[in-house]
Amino acid sequence: MNPPIIGVSRQIQKIRDLIGHVADTCLNIVITGETGVGKEVVAQALFRKSPRVNNAFVTVNCAALPETLLESELYGFEKGAFTGAQKKRRGKFEMAHKGVLFLDEIGDMPLALQSKILHVLQSGEFSPLGSEQDITTDAWVIAATNCNLEEKIKNKEFREDLFYRLNIIKIEIPPLRERPDDIPPLLEYYLDRYAAQYPDRTIDRPDRKTMEQLCSFQWPGNVRQLQNSIKKQVVLNDWNLVIQELTQTNPAVPSSKSAGNVYKPASPFSMISEFLDISKSAESIFEDLSLKKVKKKAVDRVEKEIIGYVLDKTAWNRSKASKILKISYKTLLYKISDLGLVPPPKNP
Amino acid sequence: MAQPYRLLIVDDDEVILNSFKEFFTAQPWYDVKTATNGLDALKILKQYPNKIHGLITDLVMPNISGVGLISITRKMSPDTRIIAITGWGNHPGALASEADADMVLNKPINLFEIERTMMTLLTNPKEPRQTKT
Repeated sequence: MNPPIIGVSRQIQKIRDLIGHVADTCLNIVITGETGVGKEVVAQALFRKSPRVNNAFVTVNCAALPETLLESELYGFEKGAFTGAQKKRRGKFEMAHKGVLFLDEIGDMPLALQSKILHVLQSGEFSPLGSEQDITTDAWVIAATNCNLEEKIKNKEFREDLFYRLNIIKIEIPPLRERPDDIPPLLEYYLDRYAAQYPDRTIDRPDRKTMEQLCSFQWPGNVRQLQNSIKKQVVLNDWNLVIQELTQTNPAVPSSKSAGNVYKPASPFSMISEFLDISKSAESIFEDLSLKKVKKKAVDRVEKEIIGYVLDKTAWNRSKASKILKISYKTLLYKISDLGLVPPPKNP
Repeated sequence: MAQPYRLLIVDDDEVILNSFKEFFTAQPWYDVKTATNGLDALKILKQYPNKIHGLITDLVMPNISGVGLISITRKMSPDTRIIAITGWGNHPGALASEADADMVLNKPINLFEIERTMMTLLTNPKEPRQTKT
């Protein structure tokens, strides 16, 4: 079953709005977003709202197959096209005729295939391997990637012309940590869905504190990771265990102490907690906040690490270290004492 | 005076968009609508079905690109005269011509030139379409 797009955040509402307006255009679309955000869910939603809904939705994962296999997967082959091609096989482009061809992980498609696909998009025609006949295809191409395609273009790993041809409409799905408002409705939906498989079992919903913890978690694996946690809860029925496991496998998670506070969007401010005591109220933080002090603290930390590193590598040869760091010997000595760097005890 | 020409101008750079807006609003024969992205522009198109006479759009924009907007406009409102403005190499410009923009102009933009071109297009609806690069 294909899940609907779940969420109440402003970003998700915008995506729904965009889908509603473009699904009937059947123009090429690129969906971007981190792994696990639900790119295929968005592609399916486009398909369901489009006039093509009664035809096929065909998925190809461009990263999962080696180049030659991917090529025959996309375009098909004639009997005898290569060793082992014992009978003719239709390609995904042909199967997606009048439907949707969902090209997942397009950023990982080999360059040679990129030019071939560009040709298909330009002409609407292709020929299966080993065939001389051109087949016309009217597949609506929706591509998805978690790569930064602009970056790949700069590195000559992705064709610029293909990029512009695909990127007629772009849908960016933000990571879950940037839209924590969507976590409660997602939890609700998937708890119900997974719990339905075990009708005779009681499964606790998260209480307020647990929900706050879940909402302030970073979710590096996004919705997919959340789904997995919900599946665990359905089996274990112990939120503490589920959260404990999350925090153990992802050490960058805010501790339960700070997570227990009123929700703070963690991501844009992830560094602040290293320099300020954010468990205090905003007023008391502001009272002794000074950009100068914060800057000094940050610079000190970086300097301490770098100077420590160089001293370590030079076996605490201070004059060598000062040359590497390109500071005077005197400055180095001052910094060593100021930053509280101590040489390691000499080995006996 | 006859009904003014209704223009829709789309650019994600608000500074450029504002200079467009000021320039065209100063001329009483234009009724100017603006949008900073393709989706908002599409909503305006739907709000005035077949009543947007001219579209001036940037090509590289978030959500619906200029090329997408041109394709949609061509379907929804075939008589709308379209000028595409491109500053990103040849690819988007070529795609805009393919999507049947009446004219593709390169950045940097010259407001007088765009206005002249638009007026020519609006007053000569049968003029064969051409691409200037």
